[in-house]
Amino acid sequence: MRTNPLIQRCDGVSRRDFVRVGGLTALGLGLTDLLRLRVASAKINTAASRASRCILIWLDGGPTHLETFDLKPDAPAEVRGPFQPIATNLAGVQISELMPHTAKVLDRLAIIRSMTSPLGEHNFGAHYLLTGYKPTPVLEYPSIGSVVAHLRGAASVLPPHVAVPQFRVGGGRLAGNGFLSEASRPFSVGGDPAKPDFRVRDLDFYPGIDDERIDRRQTFLSALDGFQREVETSDAAPSDPGFQQAYRLISSREAKQAFDLRDESPATRQRYGPRTVGQSCLLARRLIERGVPFVTVNNPGWDTHTNAYTRLKEGYTGAKVPVGLIPSLDQALAAMVGDLDDRGLLDETLIVVMGEFGRTPKLNVDGGRDHWPRVFSVALAGGGVPGGQVIGASDATGEGPAERPVTPSDLAASIYTLLGLDPHQTLETPDGRPVHLSRDGRPLPELVG
Amino acid sequence: MSAITLAMLLTTAAAAPVDFDTDVLPILTKAGCNAASCHGSAAGRGGFKLSLFAGDPAADHTAIVHQLEGRRVNYVHPKSSLLIAKPTWQLDHEGGLRFDFDSPESETLAQWIAEGATRRRLRRLVRLEIEPEELVLAGPGEQVQVNVTAVFDDGSRRAVGHRAVYSPDDSSAVEADGQGALVVRRRGRHVVVVRYLSEVSTVQVTVPLSDEPVDLDSAARSNWIDDEVLAMLKTLRLAPSPPADDATLLRRLRLDLTGRLPTPGEVAEYTADRRADKYARLVDRLLDGDEFVDYWTFRFAALLRLRGGDPPAAHAFHGWIREQIKSNAPLDQMARTLLLAEGDTHEVGPANFYRAAGDARAQAEYTSEVLLGVRLRCANCHNHPLDRWTQDDYHGLAAIFARMERSRIVRLGPRGEVTNPRTGEAAVPRIPGDKYLEADGDGRDDLADWLTQGDNPYFAKAMVNRLWKAMLGRGLIEPTDDLRQTNPATHPRLLARLAEDFVAHGANLRHTLRTIALSATYQRSAVATSAAAADDRFYSHALTKPLEAEVLADAIADVTGIAEKFGEQPKGTRAVTLVDPATPSAALDVLGRCSRQETCETSPGGSGGLTTRLHLMNGALLNARIASDEGRLRQQLAAGRTSDEVVRGFYIRALGRQPRDEEAKYWKTQLAAPSEGERRRRLEDFLWSLLSCQEFTTNH
Repeated sequence: MRTNPLIQRCDGVSRRDFVRVGGLTALGLGLTDLLRLRVASAKINTAASRASRCILIWLDGGPTHLETFDLKPDAPAEVRGPFQPIATNLAGVQISELMPHTAKVLDRLAIIRSMTSPLGEHNFGAHYLLTGYKPTPVLEYPSIGSVVAHLRGAASVLPPHVAVPQFRVGGGRLAGNGFLSEASRPFSVGGDPAKPDFRVRDLDFYPGIDDERIDRRQTFLSALDGFQREVETSDAAPSDPGFQQAYRLISSREAKQAFDLRDESPATRQRYGPRTVGQSCLLARRLIERGVPFVTVNNPGWDTHTNAYTRLKEGYTGAKVPVGLIPSLDQALAAMVGDLDDRGLLDETLIVVMGEFGRTPKLNVDGGRDHWPRVFSVALAGGGVPGGQVIGASDATGEGPAERPVTPSDLAASIYTLLGLDPHQTLETPDGRPVHLSRDGRPLPELVG
Repeated sequence: MSAITLAMLLTTAAAAPVDFDTDVLPILTKAGCNAASCHGSAAGRGGFKLSLFAGDPAADHTAIVHQLEGRRVNYVHPKSSLLIAKPTWQLDHEGGLRFDFDSPESETLAQWIAEGATRRRLRRLVRLEIEPEELVLAGPGEQVQVNVTAVFDDGSRRAVGHRAVYSPDDSSAVEADGQGALVVRRRGRHVVVVRYLSEVSTVQVTVPLSDEPVDLDSAARSNWIDDEVLAMLKTLRLAPSPPADDATLLRRLRLDLTGRLPTPGEVAEYTADRRADKYARLVDRLLDGDEFVDYWTFRFAALLRLRGGDPPAAHAFHGWIREQIKSNAPLDQMARTLLLAEGDTHEVGPANFYRAAGDARAQAEYTSEVLLGVRLRCANCHNHPLDRWTQDDYHGLAAIFARMERSRIVRLGPRGEVTNPRTGEAAVPRIPGDKYLEADGDGRDDLADWLTQGDNPYFAKAMVNRLWKAMLGRGLIEPTDDLRQTNPATHPRLLARLAEDFVAHGANLRHTLRTIALSATYQRSAVATSAAAADDRFYSHALTKPLEAEVLADAIADVTGIAEKFGEQPKGTRAVTLVDPATPSAALDVLGRCSRQETCETSPGGSGGLTTRLHLMNGALLNARIASDEGRLRQQLAAGRTSDEVVRGFYIRALGRQPRDEEAKYWKTQLAAPSEGERRRRLEDFLWSLLSCQEFTTNH
């Protein structure tokens, strides 16, 4: 692979060197040393942009815009739906009554109410939103998270793109890394962070195996793959990078600690809420703090064709405290914004909240809403995004954009720009084809300045 | 001023009346008005809905002339019509400027309105002629002109290059100016889709991958497959790799035909065999064996999406498939039996064909994907944007299945229909792209006749394309269930010849597999020549295929000597013989099996990557087997084998070959240990790395 000048570090250490350094952890160079190296190298990015990391809260299934960020109180009942708007700390802007926590930090958020896409099928829509490209049969594009992981590289032994709890998005057909190497594929931690016994699967040694044996196995494996490569004159087969990455992760005590939520105080854990999305966001914050450039928090269940009232608000019929999709997200999102702010990390951490499309303006006969890509909402915070603004608007019934239509490729270009990456820089497919991070997306001036 | 004069001249010159279908609609298509992102979307746009890419001219005519109280056309002042004022941006238009107010497009629309905005149906498009359809250029940067001619049923022919829409499959490789001029930017073989009205066709452009011609006279050639593959390599100037060695070829063929690794005895016997025809004998021996039947039953069960929800039914279906493979039933007869099957699905295996899908529409999609290799599903809501399929085709095929009762007893019921959303009425049964059938007959006979006749354009191609992929690692058309004109084969003539040969030999599974196996193309080494390292579709070298989850699980069990426990199945059951794809198995969960809810032909996302690697390192799948007292390694140690003997034994079992000298030397050094316990641990670590290395986990 060619060295891309854009991923040269300020101290002259290239990404390749960093990977090598990562492999040395078992020999005593700890995570903290690496972090120090990374902080030094991150300064150059700071000059270009404030954000160096990103947490994507992916609302899988297609979140309703009409019950979250874009209510239509003046529309007919079948459009308006069951929930009322409430005031926020931003004069003149209302959001759903199910989001009281978020309403208090709305001055930190930028909401786009005029997202628009033609793709109303889960896999297609997810591909478009997550990659900035419409799907095509000739090439599977990488998700934004994997592009960031690929270009930033692993700053520590932790994988550069982590999915919490997993990356089963948009119907499950996307691996995430598209045409990029497996090293940038999102690492799914598995399990449920909200469970008391949550552990990352297979991170601990199998009985009878220790550091020495893991090292030896790695040496043997490299030797075997090396023998094979000597036979193949081609230079196309690198030693299995997946195993190298796994090896580095297993050998690092600090990495294991990064995933351990028991390290957090009860107050912090409560702040994020007891549900999976909340504890996933907390884990995302821990990873971001340790230098992981991109974390996808996957929050499934938003495909609310039926019985939306219960699923969005209560969580289950007759719940005393609502634990549905929206209240859970509300608590998690507001906690993450506040917590990152308290730690002085909000400015360098971009938060994006989105799903593959919105929901139909009219409620259907089953009390739900169906797929609707023509207009929907996305929220961003931190990472230098000017907070307290609403970008664009949908029409009176939430059916189409009334002004300032924003495409998923515009959004992708904006995210790249906020993260200090030029949307016009190119990646290379395995067969040598150059592909821009974003082909026709225009970064939104309201977001990137 | 001059522009207006010119426009007037043009108008006067165009004395011929304007035809809605063939003059007006192509303008709207070219301008993008009826694309899915604009008025062609299922809900229309801004209150104006057109059919996608003008698939339904009658509906478009109504929308333009009669809706909105006729305000879209103004007979008194044609150029004030909304139809012209909007796209020329005389009035505000969300879609912006599509063509100029003074343009020929605008003049043609005005003339049509002035003539009364009627739908005369003067002519119907019969076909598109594209010249050239295929071309080879000297190098990147060269520009070529493609001529597009529309042939109409009134005998007229028109150059329509300026009205056609050009879509390169890879816009970074080919630039199209919209008038038929193409500039190729990258080497390789590229496809440009050309659309005019309802017809789509393709241009294939090749720029050789090298400036130096390659000499293929000495390249191995066994049968006509090689003629086609080598011809393409010659065009592309790619040098093929030499044949693979005996041990590699034995392992490759064994895995492809039986899903199993060769046994140590086979390896020894085959490599020692000096007969000139030993490879052909091997092919025949494997095709005749029970293990072939097991493995290809598994492959067809996956293709037919056999699931285990109703165990007796699943067993009946599985048993029937196995019987077909064992007796080498012609594949077209198999398809016919599936289509016509009725009865108790616990007894009549093929009747389960009607339980694989939930209703008539799902049945139409399943049938088209599995038996025709085409994806009809787009045509549920609108005519297929990339192919000839219409909503009438989709719902017509569904109508053939509408009367099927699909519970435990499958049979043709007294009534049942599906609604065609285009007409709002019951869909008329129809063989897709072919003909309408009687509304109240059982159309399955006609469908089966059509499907199995020799000149069916889909069935044979879909089948041989899958068999080719099973052997070579990539379909001539990818994905294998997406055959369409706009997704041409990498080697169109080879695909056609394979299909012809398949039909000529009675749709014989073993015949086609044998022909492929005997080609020099199949027998090439996987080691690429340096210039061809990036080739992943022209077969200059064998492609390395990851072992399927089930095959890998069985291979791990065979090498370690510890079988996987599959749910309640008897000990020693192999993964490829499981009837229910969801049978509990930790190994298959880790290695990533296909649930068969949807097609298994495209690679699933899901697990894999780092997650799988972590499990292979720290999970039970390998660790428990390696260290088990019942396992092969411990048994050999107990029998007093030396480390060198153990290494050699596992090399033969896992890789189908002896260690090379340098490898043997390496292991001798690494495994020399101070104590017996340490030697055992090191051998376990050796075995772990052997089971994790690329040479073991792939077929190459």
